[in-house]
Amino acid sequence: MADDKDVLRDVWFGRIPACFTLSPDEITEREAEPYYLLLPRVSYLTLVTDKVKKHFLKVMKAEDVEEIWFEYEGSPLKWHFPTGMLFDLHASNTALPWNITVHFKNFPEHELLHCASNSVIEAHFMSCIKEADALKHKSQVINDMQKKDHKQLWMGLQNDKFDQFWAMNRKLMEYPTEEGGFRYIPFRIYQTMSERPFIQKLFRPVSPEGNQLTLGDLLKELFPAAICVEDEPKRYQVIIHGIEPLLETPIQWLSEHLSHPDNFLHISIIPAPSD
Amino acid sequence: MESWKSHVRTELFHRDCREKDPFSGLYGKVSRLEEMLDFHMELWKDMDTLRSKTNKRCPDEGGTLYLRVNELEFLNRQLKQTISELTSSLYLKEAELQYCHSQITRYRTEAVMLAQGASSLQADLAEYEYQLECQSKELSILRLEHQTVKEELTSVNLQKEQFLDRWLEEKKEEAKRINKHNATQERWQRLAGRMKKRYRARSRPPPPCVANSTSEIKTMEPQHQRLPS
Repeated sequence: MADDKDVLRDVWFGRIPACFTLSPDEITEREAEPYYLLLPRVSYLTLVTDKVKKHFLKVMKAEDVEEIWFEYEGSPLKWHFPTGMLFDLHASNTALPWNITVHFKNFPEHELLHCASNSVIEAHFMSCIKEADALKHKSQVINDMQKKDHKQLWMGLQNDKFDQFWAMNRKLMEYPTEEGGFRYIPFRIYQTMSERPFIQKLFRPVSPEGNQLTLGDLLKELFPAAICVEDEPKRYQVIIHGIEPLLETPIQWLSEHLSHPDNFLHISIIPAPSD
Repeated sequence: MESWKSHVRTELFHRDCREKDPFSGLYGKVSRLEEMLDFHMELWKDMDTLRSKTNKRCPDEGGTLYLRVNELEFLNRQLKQTISELTSSLYLKEAELQYCHSQITRYRTEAVMLAQGASSLQADLAEYEYQLECQSKELSILRLEHQTVKEELTSVNLQKEQFLDRWLEEKKEEAKRINKHNATQERWQRLAGRMKKRYRARSRPPPPCVANSTSEIKTMEPQHQRLPS
């Protein structure tokens, strides 16, 4: 449907204005100017920050430079999660642009994965896609694809080419009409209030009685506190791609249209602002 | 459009109004300027190297021309890049069009199959409706028959009751008659017995003792049973 394709475009072209500042702990030859960049919501931090790295390397000595990593208000930002999800989880109710601190030293080994090159991101991205397809189609679609098709998915994301990516990704979004949806919905629920990285369980899009299940049904099962009780103030915000979908939105439709390029539906649950 | 879908679309629009639109112009401009700056810096370095080789201090007409040529080359490269991107986009669109055609074929086949299924189901439904009509007619006939038979049964039952009453009445009469007959028989037997006794007493000499004559008389008494009236 044309309307639904617009949703896919809006999701793909979502951008977050960011201001990268070099950490005061870093040794520089002269003062480093901040670097401003529009971050694609669906990409990975380390995939789109080559220019940031290049910008700060101009004022640093080669011997002071180790692996780059990013931090927001004391929390190291996990590059292997989509950028939009990181913003929703850590900074969605703050003023823009998003102030990110850049580090080249003291890599937090216990909190972040190393990202030596783009091939590491590619491996992570492809592993996520394969996991998602295992849930959706028992890996049948991704296994039927050729190596060049996998490459097309990756290149589409790397070069921010919507048409190139979706020409291949639409195959991963198909399902038999009679089944009414995927086998299981690939999703991950993130929360700031817990040490647990995310919640991920098997969840079917259609009930045994044949009814379409909704975002509300998913939350009722996995995070009931996020469902607002009548006459009580809202305690949590359920955010996907920077928006709060209605709880009656079918989870199958959300999976088809609001999934990240890794084919997972990344859901952030944050405490509702008090004002 | 479903409310949840329009909500998602509206929210995405508001999100872009908040996060993307106010910044994209400025960020794009800064990015382009930085790109041009990098390019000019590179050129400057090249020209500086050239000048140091030729020992010239001031930028001359050749230098300006060199700058212009390089700028044009830079723009040319950018245009080539854009053309190549547009070409690949065109291929992708063609592939998408083919995919759309294949989807149309698939959905058409599905639609035809569904229509066939629907028409077959409709024929079945019509047949079942006809059967239902026949069966409901049969049922109404059977109900009528049942009603008649039930009425007949009631009348037969009534007759049976009457016959039973009459039969019992007759049996009662018969029992009375038999009892009466038996009583008459008994009376006759008794009378005959007495007459026999009297006859024997007259026809033989008087007995030696009374005890013997009593036992004989006893054996002559009738053995009839009395029926209940």
